[in-house]
Amino acid sequence: MSAPVAARARWGSELALGVRLSVAGGRSGWVRLAMISLGVGLGVAMLFLAATLPAVTAVRDARVTARTVDPQQSIPRAADTLLTSEIKSEFRGRAIYGQQLQPEGDRAPLPPGVSRRLAPGEMVVSPALGELLASGDGALLRDRWPARIVGTIGPAGLSGPQEYAVYLGTDRLTDTTGHRVRSFGKSWDDGGMSPLLVLLGVVGLVVLLLPVMIFVTTAVRFGGEARDRQLAALRLVGADAAMTRRIAAGETLAGALLGLAVGGLLYLAVGLLLSRFVPPGLSFYPSDFRPVPVLAVLVVVLVPVVAVLVTLSALRRVVVEPLGVVRRSGDRRRRLWWRLVLPVAGLALLYPMRNGLSGQSTGFEYQVMAGVAALLVGVALLLPWVVDAVVRRLGGGSVAWQLAVRRLQLDSGTAVRAVSGIAVSVAGAIALQGLLAAVEAQFSPETGRDTAQFQSDVMLRQPLDPSGSWVRALRSTPGVRAVGPTSSFRAAAAGAAPDADTTLTVGDCDVLRLFARLDSCADGDSFIVTAPGTAALRPGTYAVRERSLPATDPSAQSWTLPAAARTVPAHADPGLDAQSGLMATPGALAGLKRPLADDVYVGVDPSDPDALDRVRNAAAHLDPSVLVWPVDPRSIENALASIRQGLLAGATALLLLIGASMLVNVAEQLRERRRLLAVLVAFGTRRATLTGSVLYQMAIPVALGLGLAVLTGSGLAMVMQALASAPISADWFGIGATSAVAALVVLLTTAASLPLLWRLTRPGGLRSE
Amino acid sequence: MVNSANDPLLAADDLHLSFGSTQALNSASLRVYAGEVLALMGPSGSGKSTLLHCLAGILTPDTGRVTYAGRDLSAMSDSERSALRRTEFGFVFQFGQLVPELTCLENVALPLRLAGVGRRQAQGAAAGWLARLEVADVAQKRPGQASGGQGQRVAVARALVSRPRVIFADEPTGALDSLNGERVMQLFIAAARDTGAAVVLVTHEPRVAAYSGREAVVRDGRVREQEYAL
Repeated sequence: MSAPVAARARWGSELALGVRLSVAGGRSGWVRLAMISLGVGLGVAMLFLAATLPAVTAVRDARVTARTVDPQQSIPRAADTLLTSEIKSEFRGRAIYGQQLQPEGDRAPLPPGVSRRLAPGEMVVSPALGELLASGDGALLRDRWPARIVGTIGPAGLSGPQEYAVYLGTDRLTDTTGHRVRSFGKSWDDGGMSPLLVLLGVVGLVVLLLPVMIFVTTAVRFGGEARDRQLAALRLVGADAAMTRRIAAGETLAGALLGLAVGGLLYLAVGLLLSRFVPPGLSFYPSDFRPVPVLAVLVVVLVPVVAVLVTLSALRRVVVEPLGVVRRSGDRRRRLWWRLVLPVAGLALLYPMRNGLSGQSTGFEYQVMAGVAALLVGVALLLPWVVDAVVRRLGGGSVAWQLAVRRLQLDSGTAVRAVSGIAVSVAGAIALQGLLAAVEAQFSPETGRDTAQFQSDVMLRQPLDPSGSWVRALRSTPGVRAVGPTSSFRAAAAGAAPDADTTLTVGDCDVLRLFARLDSCADGDSFIVTAPGTAALRPGTYAVRERSLPATDPSAQSWTLPAAARTVPAHADPGLDAQSGLMATPGALAGLKRPLADDVYVGVDPSDPDALDRVRNAAAHLDPSVLVWPVDPRSIENALASIRQGLLAGATALLLLIGASMLVNVAEQLRERRRLLAVLVAFGTRRATLTGSVLYQMAIPVALGLGLAVLTGSGLAMVMQALASAPISADWFGIGATSAVAALVVLLTTAASLPLLWRLTRPGGLRSE
Repeated sequence: MVNSANDPLLAADDLHLSFGSTQALNSASLRVYAGEVLALMGPSGSGKSTLLHCLAGILTPDTGRVTYAGRDLSAMSDSERSALRRTEFGFVFQFGQLVPELTCLENVALPLRLAGVGRRQAQGAAAGWLARLEVADVAQKRPGQASGGQGQRVAVARALVSRPRVIFADEPTGALDSLNGERVMQLFIAAARDTGAAVVLVTHEPRVAAYSGREAVVRDGRVREQEYAL
């Protein structure tokens, strides 16, 4: 056998010996293997889930894209064309997607998932919507589209199995109310996801994955001291230092491979649960739940490689001798300079974007991802130095404090490894919370609108006579308290350029109060509405025309804004700036013919939960594609608030996972030190002293980690706020809540470790002496 | 309760203790008198360490009674026994069992601190004992940085620092070479005699037992014979 072949065979046999040792170490060996594989398995499952997210999103997006109608197509009517009009409805808070379809010939296209052309009065629905309509809960919804269900939409036409979707056959669409298409599917580029959402997604991904990686690297070091003693025994029987490293690598490899298997099983189990329990809007088909192959291969390859590298790196600080193990880390001080490299690099990557993301070239998300990852990894790197530097200066105190501090002074590595996951998660969560809070503030300004009277805006697609029977129909809908149609003109001041016009909104006093602050109002009044940063209009003669007509249209009429018109401030519009312009009550039009209504504001009985859905039903009878929109901007605020709550829940789940890993760490340390603990109890140490020592030992690094996390997280939040062009502020609620949860995790971990501590500190533990 | 000079300080009467199917103590009885050095000898697995742990209130016998200064240990609560071990008893083990993260000085001061003595005062007393046992030079070192012999002397200092009335020593020189073992025993017994503490010494080495004033042999969980050394 040649030398290289012999060397390879020796390597192989040493790795195999490591694998054998990992499964033949008796009860303690099995416990160690189980802990490593469970820890790695949890991490692997999370990584697989992260690798699945893009695939699920892509498949869902592809199906949504395939059913989308391109409104820009300009196509003449033909046998292969179809008129469509989108339906965006809602029932009891759940969105309903739909289209009205009006085939114009035998070869008109069919939407994906629909197998036949629909005649007027026919509809096909998604299975979930079909179930709802057939159930007692759907009785109210059945009235919305008085059409016969003739089929079910297949998976190809749905974003997921829980989606509510409907296609309605109709003959009421015209060239102006419908979009003519020859095929379904989006062919234009809408610029992709908004940079803000990309930013949120990128930071969220980094915040989720970094602690997982830290968790995996911590897990492979479980039981390290017992392993080192085992290696010392091997040295005694003739293994050299390199051989022991390879044997250790083999042992870790066994744990990592078993962890991959455990992770795979956990992933499948989570997939099954997720497909049943995700919110309906995010539902997916079981066949969608597959990781991106390249990412899955990366996980399968990198996790064992990282595990082995971590083991070898840990062994660099340990001298395994035949008579025992010597750790080099004892008195060696950690250096600061190289730990600062990553945070500084992270800031350098984010600095060019300090003025906002608008105008950033494509690929900015990678720069943000790298910058955020560098900053957060920087927390994990800085923490050992911070703990070292602070703990070195600590002294005095009770026996419990002294035992904990001295333990940390001797070896803070184990404690810090467990805490670095918490620190990174908290820093990331605080950054995300801060960003969301700022975005929330930006998108949900205090409008000052009085929504006591009207809560919903029925947006008509075709203007209607404001005194028509449809208004009476709406008004007689059960639960409806008020109906206020508004109309609007375009108005240009005499002598001004025809395109320098403004909006003249016409409506009752109650409706006009939605747009501006009116102290008093009566029919016949007119108002000049001012908004910050716009010049106030003046009383005088205006040329007014219907909104749809061009500025040069000769049908413009003359209207005089009386000198008595009061100037009033506009309310801010959610997501928009305050709107300036003119407002008039019908009595102030002075012979001017009131234009058709294009919006109807509806007020409902707040104690009637179905009132709004009845309004939607009534509006759908006018036109199924009518939009019913909430006037109250708090609905947007609520959406963002639920994202924040979701984030807090996610951070809590992550912290609980980390708490579990800390518990395993503590349990392992207690087991390692059980003889010493028994000795301490033998000469009279109180349990409270030992419990206090365990608590301090966990709490000191966690407190330092949290401090560092709050500083970094708040700093990162401010950087993110600058990137998102949001107002820079500190989110004290987010900081407080996340830190409190982290502190709670420490307390729970300590409490959970007490039974083991008490069991191990029974004086009978000395019997092994 | 006040003991007369002839009353034993520590007494075990008819102790029985089993671990599963293994009977560790089988009607073991023993007397320990104030200030004496008693060696418990016997082969491995004979039950001598178990007897020592019962005498120290670390283990509770299944039946039988251990009394210290007339007080029944089995009638005491766990915290009372802990307090007794903290204030009246001292321990030396085969491998020292020092707390690795504390310095040698802090290790020696630990029993005093557990008994509520202030840090400065406890460390002052500890420094005196380290000097007496000729290991003042390792006071600021951690146990891992001291030699085996030095570590065992630190452990002896820790056992003596609270001036206990009884010191339990389980194979105190078992991990040392003969030269170091001799020196540790000389210093240990001399210091114990000076403080007037009784020593219960578990050993299977005759040359260690030679430091005792009395020997008892434990075999099959029973104290078979007692003889008085010259």
